Amino acid sequence: MLQAGLLLLAGLLFHSAAKAEYGLNFPEPAAGVAQEIYDIHMLTMGIATVLLIIVFAIVFYSLYFHRKSRGYQADQNFHTSWFGHWSWVIVPVMVLGVDLTIAGKADIVLKKVWDVPKEENIMDVKVTGHQWWWEFDYLDHDIKVESRYIPEEQSGDLYLREVDNPLVLPTGVKIRFLHTSADVLHAFWVPELAVKKDAIPGYITETWAELNREGTFRGQCAELCGTWHSRMPIVVESVSQDKFTAWVDGQKAIKVAAAAEASADKTWSMDELMVKGKTLYETKCAACHQVTGMGLPPAFPALNGSVLTKGPIADHLNIVINGKEGTAMQPWGTLNDLEIAAIVTYERNAWDNKMGDVVQPADVKQAR
Amino acid sequence: MRIPEYQTPELRRKNVRLAWILGGLALFFLVTSFPFWTGIFRIVGNQAMQ
Amino acid sequence: MSTTTLTHDEAHHHEAPKGWRRWLFSTNHKDIGTLYLLFALIMLFVGGASAMLIRMELFQPGIQLLDPDLYNNLVTNHALIMIFGAVMPAAAGLANWMIPMMIGAPDMALPRMNNLSFWILPAAATMLLLSFVVPFFPGGGTQINTGWTIYPPLSVQVGMSMDFLIFAIHLLGISSVLASINIIVTLLNMRAPGMKMLKMPMFCWTWLVTAFLLILVVPVLAGGVTMLLFDRHFGTSFFDAAGGGDPVLFQHLFWFFGHPEVYILLLPSIGVLSHVIPAFSRKPLFGYNSMVGAMIAVATIGMVVWAHHQYTIGMSLGAVTYFMIGTILISIPVGLMIFNFIATMWRGAMTFETPMLFAVGIVLMFTFGGLSGVMLAVVPADMQYHDSMFVVAHFHYVLMPGAVFGLFAGVFYWLPKWTGHMYDEKLGKLFFWTNVIGFNITFFPQHFLGLAGMPRRIVDYNVMFTEFNVISSVGAMIFGLSHLLLLYIVIKTIRGGKKAESRAWEGAKGLEWELDSPPAFHTWTVAPQIK
Repeated sequence: MLQAGLLLLAGLLFHSAAKAEYGLNFPEPAAGVAQEIYDIHMLTMGIATVLLIIVFAIVFYSLYFHRKSRGYQADQNFHTSWFGHWSWVIVPVMVLGVDLTIAGKADIVLKKVWDVPKEENIMDVKVTGHQWWWEFDYLDHDIKVESRYIPEEQSGDLYLREVDNPLVLPTGVKIRFLHTSADVLHAFWVPELAVKKDAIPGYITETWAELNREGTFRGQCAELCGTWHSRMPIVVESVSQDKFTAWVDGQKAIKVAAAAEASADKTWSMDELMVKGKTLYETKCAACHQVTGMGLPPAFPALNGSVLTKGPIADHLNIVINGKEGTAMQPWGTLNDLEIAAIVTYERNAWDNKMGDVVQPADVKQAR
Repeated sequence: MRIPEYQTPELRRKNVRLAWILGGLALFFLVTSFPFWTGIFRIVGNQAMQ
Repeated sequence: MSTTTLTHDEAHHHEAPKGWRRWLFSTNHKDIGTLYLLFALIMLFVGGASAMLIRMELFQPGIQLLDPDLYNNLVTNHALIMIFGAVMPAAAGLANWMIPMMIGAPDMALPRMNNLSFWILPAAATMLLLSFVVPFFPGGGTQINTGWTIYPPLSVQVGMSMDFLIFAIHLLGISSVLASINIIVTLLNMRAPGMKMLKMPMFCWTWLVTAFLLILVVPVLAGGVTMLLFDRHFGTSFFDAAGGGDPVLFQHLFWFFGHPEVYILLLPSIGVLSHVIPAFSRKPLFGYNSMVGAMIAVATIGMVVWAHHQYTIGMSLGAVTYFMIGTILISIPVGLMIFNFIATMWRGAMTFETPMLFAVGIVLMFTFGGLSGVMLAVVPADMQYHDSMFVVAHFHYVLMPGAVFGLFAGVFYWLPKWTGHMYDEKLGKLFFWTNVIGFNITFFPQHFLGLAGMPRRIVDYNVMFTEFNVISSVGAMIFGLSHLLLLYIVIKTIRGGKKAESRAWEGAKGLEWELDSPPAFHTWTVAPQIK
């Protein structure tokens, strides 16, 4: 069994180094730093494999030849020979040699990984972890992308590896990621970009990458962040710089249109708000309160038939805008008036609630 | 609780004294853990950002 | 209950008390050792059952058996129960049984404290159980979905279960600190005349170092979880950035305990190996002095490299470089230990009874786990491995062979001494093979999962990870169920079997083998003279 395990390691890992599709090794790196990390991973694994083979060979030789059933007589003085006297020096020196080989190479790579470029034209992306979605702020372009997992019915085989809005990044530009969190610890991990970093509430950590090929790269949150830790995929859409510029323009246009719509002095009908509200609820609220509105008590209370959704509108708006301290309910005040109005209207009329209330953007404005 | 008298009073005193010293060591680590750690933490901490 | 009316002779020769009083009021190192071992065996099955539930859930993508919080709670409980409930008490049980017999002492130095340090454990286990049960009752709050590392702020969100857990950790800590004090005092003050420190059996040396480690690091964990408790209930903000604290501080406190804890789990088993391998190779341990030195070096370096568990928190370049090099250097003393074991086998006259099979398995698999540890020590590469299934595979390869198999080897090695009966060798070998094969099927594929991008502690995964998870889960069932065989062998040996001689193994050396099998209730009441 052990021998089989050894063969598996030596054979499979090296053989399949280039065949990432088997999922035996890291996927093919898409950034310079990731490539260096990949190389040092292969180096240490190579050294480890060689050492393992040596140890196994010696042990199995001994197991076969130095056994009582073969009539072998134990050498009672082996530990007092010159070897026995000096091995405590010889062995550490040999191990130290291996250690220094690894540490020397690792140190060079480490400096490159840690040394985040400080150039003027670097692109900053602020990555904020939320329970349980990612927020990407393109600080240089004034764009914000909210990225959430897609339920299995819609994502199929990519379930837990697919999001609604990917992180679109250009190739050939140095990108600095600024990681932080709105609630608990998260960790941003896309193997092709290599560098994993924790998102710590109240602090900012940074990593960087320069993408060298186009493609779609998938990762997941790597720090346990509560109930739906498994539902925080990250998708990086690596595109050429031209495509990226076009994408930025598109996002800006959408943003302008949404702002115009929200500020328009219009009275919205129940049906319009319900349609908008359903979409918004299902992307932003359903992770905790569920599509059915039944929640997951005790952590996430039901909204269907709850005191809140059937109580005064003012209280309802207050909790949505300001959150509820001491619980997982975060403030949603960054949404615009129209979005909050739609969500609250939906929550008060969906399922069995049927309150018949219509909350207008103007009401939200007043409540802020 | 029946304890066989295999320890001379002298050995017993020696044992109990050493036990208190070790217990004191543990308590020392408990009470100093916080100030010690905040100090270490400032040194090791998030210098990467500065 | 006073002993003052008894003369010395009566005290030495009285038989074990009968009934429950024998156990509840016990001050006898052998009885307390048995209690520890039984407790550990029960906890092994509780912790194992939670592991099997985890693997059943991960058998297929999707959420079938456990809702996410329950899953994470089981992950938390599996770790805590195995570490604090199974491995540490089992090692303490071996220490209680063997140390007085090995150093020619009549009992532990502080027998009543010995009683206390065991009987705190069932109370702590109850607390731990309550933390698991409470969320199922109305108003019980959420489950502990944080993993055993209980990092804030997530652990501040959890309901009252977390408070139970914090108190359970306090109790477990008190228990192990008391036991450690007792062991150190016993080893320093109670050795038979003529037994110099450097003549002590290796198992005693390993426990001496382990006990010192425990005294130094457990209070730090206790301090950390106390701060957490204050953050949760008394408005402090040690770990809350909004109040001027830092969540990362907790991680430093936790891993300052957590990393030496690995050596606490590991060293007693290294001690067992230092007896088993020479016994079945029929020649003395190679490099006794270097073994002692290596062990002290491991413990010392192990105390100052804790942050290699937190490479991703954004430390300064200087700090990560230091932690990386320190961690890589641990391979020197550990490599020396492994080398000494191999050199002990070399040119021996080996036979392969169950304890020796486990010992050989440990040497091979622990080397494997140690080498993947060197890979993890390399900071840039760890930016990939960190918190992936690769880490899960690595530490199981270290802790199963390094700690648990060592304890199995010790149990099989000394079972004839304890019970007076030889265990069934055929069944023992069967247990070894099912156990080790099951173990490798379970954990080897997890390396691949981690490299392919599967994070740890997720309840649900993408279909691309299915194949290896299926293999791993099947292996886990074999591995888990194989322990029923262990239970059967132990019960069978206690109830009867071939009579064991005083020196149950041909090559066994040491004072414990001079005593009858099973030994009298009180042994070495007259200390042996060591030449």
